[in-house]
Amino acid sequence: MRAFRTLLKTECKLSLRGMDMFIFAICLPVVLIIILGMVFGNKAAYDGAAYSFLDQSFGAVTTIAICAGGIMGLPLVISDYRNRKILKRFQVTPISPVLILAVQLVIYALYSICSLVLVYTVGAVFFGYHLQGSWLHFLAAYLLVMVSMFSIGLLVGGIAPNTKIAGVAASLLYFPMLIFSGATLPYEIMPATLQKVADILPLTQGIKLLKAAYLGLPMNGVIAPVMVMIVLAVICSSISIRFFRWE
Amino acid sequence: MESVIRVEKLCKSYEQITAVKNVDISIRPGEVFGLLGANGAGKSSTMECILGTKKQDSGTVSILGMNPQKGRKKLFEQVGVQFQEANYQDKIRVEELCELTASLYKSPLDYVKLLSQFGLSDKRKSQVSELSGGQKQRLFIALALIPNPKVVFLDELTTGLDARARRDVWKSLSDLKEKGLTILLTSHFMDEVEALCDKIMILKKGESIFCGTVQEAIAASPYEKFEDAYLWFTDEEERENESISDAS
Repeated sequence: MRAFRTLLKTECKLSLRGMDMFIFAICLPVVLIIILGMVFGNKAAYDGAAYSFLDQSFGAVTTIAICAGGIMGLPLVISDYRNRKILKRFQVTPISPVLILAVQLVIYALYSICSLVLVYTVGAVFFGYHLQGSWLHFLAAYLLVMVSMFSIGLLVGGIAPNTKIAGVAASLLYFPMLIFSGATLPYEIMPATLQKVADILPLTQGIKLLKAAYLGLPMNGVIAPVMVMIVLAVICSSISIRFFRWE
Repeated sequence: MESVIRVEKLCKSYEQITAVKNVDISIRPGEVFGLLGANGAGKSSTMECILGTKKQDSGTVSILGMNPQKGRKKLFEQVGVQFQEANYQDKIRVEELCELTASLYKSPLDYVKLLSQFGLSDKRKSQVSELSGGQKQRLFIALALIPNPKVVFLDELTTGLDARARRDVWKSLSDLKEKGLTILLTSHFMDEVEALCDKIMILKKGESIFCGTVQEAIAASPYEKFEDAYLWFTDEEERENESISDAS
């Protein structure tokens, strides 16, 4: 436990010293929710909608940090630590290298939760946002999205042969997902064809799930997204555990 | 007295290439053992098989009577390791790296004392990447000593250091030797090996071509200086090739 605490403390400091996660996971979502709030205010999501545009976008914005941590941060840090032989160094100590990976997962989960709290607070304080559906459903969905996104990151970081390839793979997954899954650019304003393409992205499904949860929409439409998220998490984590390389 | 490190018939190959072949090593308590050989001779592979970071194809390894793979948790409480590559996180400070390393062990030594012992007290707040080559190597020895080990493994400790820094590192190692620490090291510098090692093994293409003391190595060669003797041991085949090409 002492090792875990010390590692968590040190890795948090190092991560904050790096600034990237602070910008992409903490600042970006907050800025976005402010822009969306200022531009759309409390306009209805569409004519006759029971919820506002901002309500509709809330869930999507909260996934930006998950996406930044899971798809970008995690693969890069795993492949970097492998490349620098830090994982190997842990193999010749009484502590398993699994611990340092667990610490990374916790750190990215913390970033996501911080971001969620901040985005909600900003939305609530400045734009009168409030969650219409169930917090319980929302948090469960949020956790599921986090698990499945992080599993993609573990997969990419676990099997990429070097940091460069990990970086390229992470970018190829991160940017399309950030832009087209609805996390930044609202899914609802996309043309129908683009929406169809976006539906392939796992995060799109995740955001649909979140939306159903916090808007309190009927839960019968969420079976498909839930299945997608679970299957994705199972497949990605099994492959990464099976093919993980310490060096 | 029983061996601290015992290796029997160690073999390791990567696909078609044989990296280690039938290597036997026995190191007694308090001994400094040097593993020598050209790049690619199998030094690092041997060391990694002994440490258990690579799995040998055949042969047995025991450190302090334990199997390094099965008894990893218990064994590495008592073993310090410094790898050839600098393996620390980007932007980490000296103090943070020490604190982190200390947290991995049940009863670590006080790293503040170790840092001052290695003349690094004023560098505690510096980033590791900003240290000079000699300071880094001294830090890595200090890190390897944090567990208060009975055995330390040092891989190419002084590569890339200037003469002064190398002497400083030797001095630190001699002190440790006096305290009865068992050390396994690899090195490319024969003066260093002469100054520090009680016993050496010369590897060539994964096989041991000499094992004994430095004096024995000199005696077994037609030369008087250890470096010449070492080259004589490792170069034999090349010399033959040269004479063949000269003749043609």
